[in-house]
Amino acid sequence: MKGARLSILGLTLSLPPLILVLVFVGLPIVIGFTFSLGFTKGPNRIISIIGQQIHVKDHWWGTFAAYSDVFHDSRFLGDLGLTLFVTLLSTILVILMGLAISIYQRLIRSKQASILVTLAIVPLFVPVVISAWAIHTFYGGDGFLRSFFSQFGINFPTLTSTSSAIVIGSVWTSLPFAILMISSGMQGIPDALIDAAKDCGAPIIRIVSHILIPLAKTPIIIAASFTAIGILGSFTIPLFLGPNQPTMLGVEISNFFGSYNRPQQSLVMAFIVFMAASGIAILYVWSNVKSAKESGRI
Amino acid sequence: MLKKTVWKSLALASVISLSIGITAPASHAGSQTIQVYISADTNIQDLWVKTLVPAFKAANPGYDVNVTFDLHGDHDAQETAKITAASVLHKDPGVDLIDGGFVTTLGSAGLLYRPTSGLLPNIKDVNRAVLTAGKGGIPYRASSVLLAYNTNNVPNPPKTLDDLLAWIKSHPGKFTYNAPSGGGSGYAFVQTVVDKYLSNEDRTTLVQQAAPDLESKWSQGLETLRQLNAYTYGQNGTYPANNAETLKDLATGLVDMGTVWSDQFASALKAGTMPSNIKVVQISNPQLTGGASYLGIPSSSTNRTAARILANWVLSPAAQNLIVSGTLNGFPVIALNKLDVKATAAFAGVDIQNLRAGYLSANANDLKSKWASTVPGK
Repeated sequence: MKGARLSILGLTLSLPPLILVLVFVGLPIVIGFTFSLGFTKGPNRIISIIGQQIHVKDHWWGTFAAYSDVFHDSRFLGDLGLTLFVTLLSTILVILMGLAISIYQRLIRSKQASILVTLAIVPLFVPVVISAWAIHTFYGGDGFLRSFFSQFGINFPTLTSTSSAIVIGSVWTSLPFAILMISSGMQGIPDALIDAAKDCGAPIIRIVSHILIPLAKTPIIIAASFTAIGILGSFTIPLFLGPNQPTMLGVEISNFFGSYNRPQQSLVMAFIVFMAASGIAILYVWSNVKSAKESGRI
Repeated sequence: MLKKTVWKSLALASVISLSIGITAPASHAGSQTIQVYISADTNIQDLWVKTLVPAFKAANPGYDVNVTFDLHGDHDAQETAKITAASVLHKDPGVDLIDGGFVTTLGSAGLLYRPTSGLLPNIKDVNRAVLTAGKGGIPYRASSVLLAYNTNNVPNPPKTLDDLLAWIKSHPGKFTYNAPSGGGSGYAFVQTVVDKYLSNEDRTTLVQQAAPDLESKWSQGLETLRQLNAYTYGQNGTYPANNAETLKDLATGLVDMGTVWSDQFASALKAGTMPSNIKVVQISNPQLTGGASYLGIPSSSTNRTAARILANWVLSPAAQNLIVSGTLNGFPVIALNKLDVKATAAFAGVDIQNLRAGYLSANANDLKSKWASTVPGK
């Protein structure tokens, strides 16, 4: 009887957020999905009156006309390619840099190393809009780098409005969280393991590759998946720093929804981003389950 | 047992969720507070909050105005949906007066209170053609896109569009316009180049009604724009994101020429963020577009009587003087001889009564989309 009462309490406590998520996140996703398939009645009626190039379903299950629009649009493949390229490259760079700083801090354990980690976390407290604009003025046509190099007669390239600038911006904004995750994972590794390896004459490379990275694998995978999902859906950085076209899907979705007034096509793109993000999320869940199994929790 | 547990918990949780929702805002039917919704740049916010609202309250004691501001119209689609939905459901939309680009869209959908001289006496002073183009919107100020140029490097600015296109090609990297989806000043340049190849009849049709059949005629103009990629500022055909960035590029001397909004330029000049050696000029054949900004009173608003009093006051010479001479430097919508002579002196060279109109929003949306798929980076 006591167990039943406890389970009522547990369910009651966990239901409000669950209902909130179901009603305010789950339901709109379902409604949005039906709209992308051409269901233009009921909750989708108003948006169908306002939007342009709306396709109405011609089968009981809907129509793929809006999906076909998107895949035949000359912009889409370029946008998708850029989005995946920026996400992949930025995530790799973030994880490599996060690893370097965390390993340095773990092995050296000096004041300088701690200061370095603290400094690396500072961007976490700068709003993305501010940092995007700062990066824009730093690398822009009249920015610091170009002004500095022109003193020596060197014509430094303008990096803004290129995909390189998006990568720089994404790394800048994502690095602090990755460092927090990875360095806390590294801090949890007992000194005894490292000392034992050192006593046996293992070189630093071997300690890193056989002890530090394997033992911090779960936080590394969590950091990588969160970074990738964040960059995949980013808007401000590619809007301020990227080229007009191709652009990342976050910006293109906003363009299609607002400027071009094509809500159905923007939803189709949103579902494609959603699917890509789900792929990354599976990696995250898999790593969580695996580490739970290893520690005997399930 | 488990099923019962779930139901109990569900009921309890729903009660909690509901009790959170009870504090929803109450209706403001028939109140003296006028809800004004502005979807524009910060200069328009300043016009209302710092200039028009205090003057209106001084002239009409007892009324209060609450301004809701949406920067760059980021939520135009949602607000349009909200007002449409309120009208369909016969509910108060919570907005009594709208100042934003989507007013004409609401007007064509029949969701606005039609302005007539019986209810808005001051409307008799407003230019007929401008009023008709509003489709139920009330024109209250105007602005135009102009060509800004750096007098230090450009002693003789181009007078026609052909001159301008020739100048761009002979001065690589010295001209820019922003992406049309990011701001009206870049959009005006795109429409003007596209219009160069259209007949007057086609141009008028595109201004007045949705005309997907005419859109294939844009291809020549878009090809001209694509060829400019090699000559405009920025590598591989990249363009500033919005109006503000074009102004910044002009002010810092990155470019010598660009298209700008008349009011934003005048405000920047006054604020000192634009150096005085930058001047503006209108081109011809065809001229850069401009037009009125419209106020809309949703027909479902329960407070539309008060909204009408505010709209009528905005059209009075006293309020029009404030629009012309204040920080905004907008164009008036009533005849110049009704206004302060000193305030209108700034518009000496520009014909503010005959502005060339932009396309209907449905056509404009298509043009922005076509530009994005055919011009930048191609």
